[in-house]
Amino acid sequence: MKLKTLGDWFEKRLQLEPLYRNSAGHAIPRSSASWWYVFGSATLICFVLQIVTGICLALVYVPAADEAWNSLEYLNYQQTFGWFLRAVHYWGSNFMVALMTIHMLQVFLFGAYKYPREFTWVIGCVLFLCTLGLAFTGQVMRFDQDAYWGLGIGASIMGRIPFIGNDLVYLVLGGPIIAGETLSRFFGLHVFVLPGLVILFVVVHLRLVLKTGINDYPIAGKPVDLDHYDEEYEALIEKEGIPFFPDGVDKDVIFGALVISGVLACAALFGPAGPNGPPNPTLIDTVPRPDFYFLSLFAVFALLPAYTETFVIVYLLPVAVVALFAIPFVSRAGEKHPSRRPGAVVGVLMIMTILSTLAYLGLSSPWSPHMDAWTRDPVPVAMVKGRSPLALQGAAVLQGKQCRNCHSLDGIGGQRGPDLSDVAARLTNDQLIRQVLQGGGNMPAYGHNLSPSEVTALVAFLGTLKPAGEPDAANAAQRVLIQ
Amino acid sequence: MTRNRPWTIALVALAAVSLVACDSLPGRPREADRYRLPSEILDFASLYDLRCAGCHGADGSLGPARNLNDPLYIAYAGHTAIRSVIANGVPGTAMPSFLDSTGGPLTAAQVDALADGIVRKWGQPARYAAAALPPSSQAASVTGDPQRGAEAFETACAHCHGSGGTGGPEAGSVVNSAFLNLVSDRSLRTTVVVGRRDLGMPGFDGYVKGRNLTPQEVSDIVAWLVAQRSEFPGQPYAAGPTLGTGAEKGKGRD
Repeated sequence: MKLKTLGDWFEKRLQLEPLYRNSAGHAIPRSSASWWYVFGSATLICFVLQIVTGICLALVYVPAADEAWNSLEYLNYQQTFGWFLRAVHYWGSNFMVALMTIHMLQVFLFGAYKYPREFTWVIGCVLFLCTLGLAFTGQVMRFDQDAYWGLGIGASIMGRIPFIGNDLVYLVLGGPIIAGETLSRFFGLHVFVLPGLVILFVVVHLRLVLKTGINDYPIAGKPVDLDHYDEEYEALIEKEGIPFFPDGVDKDVIFGALVISGVLACAALFGPAGPNGPPNPTLIDTVPRPDFYFLSLFAVFALLPAYTETFVIVYLLPVAVVALFAIPFVSRAGEKHPSRRPGAVVGVLMIMTILSTLAYLGLSSPWSPHMDAWTRDPVPVAMVKGRSPLALQGAAVLQGKQCRNCHSLDGIGGQRGPDLSDVAARLTNDQLIRQVLQGGGNMPAYGHNLSPSEVTALVAFLGTLKPAGEPDAANAAQRVLIQ
Repeated sequence: MTRNRPWTIALVALAAVSLVACDSLPGRPREADRYRLPSEILDFASLYDLRCAGCHGADGSLGPARNLNDPLYIAYAGHTAIRSVIANGVPGTAMPSFLDSTGGPLTAAQVDALADGIVRKWGQPARYAAAALPPSSQAASVTGDPQRGAEAFETACAHCHGSGGTGGPEAGSVVNSAFLNLVSDRSLRTTVVVGRRDLGMPGFDGYVKGRNLTPQEVSDIVAWLVAQRSEFPGQPYAAGPTLGTGAEKGKGRD
């Protein structure tokens, strides 16, 4: 009785009841209380988790160029559970980007962006960009070698923008180079500007979801008709509407709990990312990689022919972003169900295949030489046993001249050039000598760097590399002679 | 309240255990995972795996370059020479210099750690006394005579490397001009004395049944090998009237 009086006292002043009725209590179509509709709320849950862990991290993190790396080491090794906090924030960001992507794909495949929800999609795209911004600036907060070289790539992308490129780089880095002010700027972006924008746009996004209604589950053969959609949706709510809270929320709650458990489990099992080496450009023993969501972009930049780089980065990427925003205006009405939109399904499959292939390439980055393969990767024992003294010297030349950094033996070594394990079955002695001296097909010429003895020894070794039973390579003239 | 006490104790114990357990979760960064500057790595195993295994083999044997896990080699070469070769390399051969002041990637402390580690891990000072071995330096030794060396080679080496060293059933040519051009005099001497036992080549105590090679024989064989060096080493085709006609095609492979 007393509790009710107290409640009434507050309610009289705050008047929360209408707000509740219009938000958590609003009616949704029964069909949308589906397991397919849980990814948006899960993304939001990740964002809340990021804010909580982010605040905790900010209590320790020192956003200064000379101290940031040390404060991460402090969290990892000295602060009790500091490593776990870092790990949760890291895995939370991975989950957030992944869930956001799934949410976008689901919305796209279910045609949920169509009338009247075009603006919801647009705001969603803004949130997508803000989240990627948070991911990138977060990677910079982990002020290590990945951060340093990631910034370098980011800066050189901006520097390509015509007319304002240089000034923009100066503005973002806080000077001509990556230094203390750079970290302060990215800290400001990561901790204040971008989260603020996300909160603002999440509010707008949710307002739009409430006001235009959650998308009704798509039915094949029931296209969006611009003239009648609103009435039909109202009738649907009238007929089978259920309040979001408490009737439609159960799946979101369960999935949200699973997501949080997933983040915590990943954090406990796999731990935080890095920090790898300090952000010192004089450390050349480094293999910087972006976090997974930028691996595909990393691969694109690495693989683009040089003359297309500016075109793709400055013109094509923005066009792709504009195209993303334009989707609901190009396809406003019509079928929603994926089975009636084969183009959309094939497009999604294609884009996801391309992105994951590129991400895999970015991770393995076969274009990068393995800079320590020449001293680290042993010559396979089977390629040493039974070789002549000259061939053994040739194997030492192969290692010593760092051929191994680009060429693997038995799959171990650099991936940039072809594996040499069966090279004697592919190239004759003369072809091997020519290839070593003159290079070609992406390989530099080594004629000026190897003595005749070194070339002879190297070719003698390479000439022994073929699978058992395989004949030596022979050119056309030799084949005639053999016959 | 007393009824609840066991539960309370159990809960407190569980909380304590889970706190301790959390601290040993698999994701927790270990001290061993902590980033170290390349110049701070001083343990022999890491240094060897990163800088030596490529040529000298995964466990100090069966690589193209000399096997280092041989106590005879370590007793013969000695710590000073091993350290010097790591630091300065052997000019003209595939062995690069590793000391930073000579353009290499390692600090003096790391070169020391490598030399110390090789001697400590693979050396057996009790088994091989340096005094019982042929002297390690050609200059300090008795002067070699190539003529006598040719005879000693036939006695000690030809049964594997073939008469005249041009290659036999068991082992390849040691008079190939490219091969001789890529090895130093000293390394020829070392190989004659300690062999490549990982590849089946015995040392000075295993060539001739029942006796060791004498220091004089070692010097003679090395002098003979050195005398086989060519003025224009490494030409893929033998010079002669057919050079450039294409008739030699496919014959350059060793």
